[in-house]
Amino acid sequence: MPRNKKTFVAAAFASVLALCAAAAMAHHSAAQFDFAQRVTIEGVVKKFNVTNPHTWAVVEITDDKRGTREAEYEGHSASHFYRAGYTRDMLKPGDKIAILIAPRRDGEDGGFIQAFTANGKTIGFGGLSPETGRRTEGASE
Amino acid sequence: MSKAPRARSSLIATVAAAVCGVAISVAEAQQPDFTGIWESYRAAPQGQGRAPGAGAARVEPPLTEEGRRRVEEYRVLAGPTRLNGATFCADYGVPGMMGLPGGYPIEFIQKPDQLTLIYEVNNETRRIYIGDRQVPPEQRLPSRAGYSAGHWEGGALVVKTTDLLDGLDQGASAYSEQATIDERFSLEDVNGTKVLTYQATITDPVYYTAPIKFERRYQRYDGFIIPYGCQDELWYELLELRRAQHEAGEPVEARMSDVYKIREERE
Repeated sequence: MPRNKKTFVAAAFASVLALCAAAAMAHHSAAQFDFAQRVTIEGVVKKFNVTNPHTWAVVEITDDKRGTREAEYEGHSASHFYRAGYTRDMLKPGDKIAILIAPRRDGEDGGFIQAFTANGKTIGFGGLSPETGRRTEGASE
Repeated sequence: MSKAPRARSSLIATVAAAVCGVAISVAEAQQPDFTGIWESYRAAPQGQGRAPGAGAARVEPPLTEEGRRRVEEYRVLAGPTRLNGATFCADYGVPGMMGLPGGYPIEFIQKPDQLTLIYEVNNETRRIYIGDRQVPPEQRLPSRAGYSAGHWEGGALVVKTTDLLDGLDQGASAYSEQATIDERFSLEDVNGTKVLTYQATITDPVYYTAPIKFERRYQRYDGFIIPYGCQDELWYELLELRRAQHEAGEPVEARMSDVYKIREERE
């Protein structure tokens, strides 16, 4: 039976969030993100810069409302990416990616990366606030 | 092997110890080795997996009037987004780094005359000088880690940290340049887990009417320290801007302020 893609992505995210332990950080100011919300976006990787103190990703996304455009996403530090299982050859420009984000409060494109799936692998960060390092209210357990 | 030679060497050791100073020999024998990588201690999973004291009620620090004014002023300076020096690759300082902010591991390297602590974030390093060889007070350059002199008291390394820069951004442990921090490192066995306990007492007449205390516990981390070059990235971004100018046939004149401008526009 073919697996429903969205169900698969959601299930993968749920299991990663459940498994993730204390990946946390305290050096971001992330007031622009709403960590009580979770949104999944899908697109094509243009740039995925796993660096410190922030990771930056540029993803080409498409929807009926705003068409095709590039959106920027922020993520945890490189240390947290590698401890969460990220490997340096995991992503390259052109790869399809699904990202679970805490969206921007102002409703614009962008958000904070909580988990992502690409090339059959899912990496998650436990739904922790980048500001406090603690589990955010409403985060998936 | 007969018992006689062993008994004789033991007798010689005892005599030697008596001559050279028994107290020193005993103290050395008790000194633990902190060398290794440590992470925040997580209590056994019978409870909520929290470190002891994590859920304890917050005690209001005994602030002086000036301390209260400075804490309030810093709140205004940090603003609603709670501006944080680490975002700009500044060191956390002491005791900030000892709280392992963000949950990264810390490495301890112990030698007889120095305990070196390296926090993963920014490779932030502090050195605790043990014994008689110390930097003369007038030659100590103030820093966010301060100057740390240590000595052994039984199994504990007792440290006095002075020569600190303004610690206005140290959260609940904020302090002035006049602060001194008395610290204590010791090892204990908690239900079969080797636990390193760190205790700090901050004395600062500018901020506090009485000393304030801070404690953290660490457990062994079975992994590696990951390179964390925070400022390296800024440098690469500047070179990338200059490369783009060069390839476009424009004057190569991008500055670090341009890198910051681009970062701010993202946020």
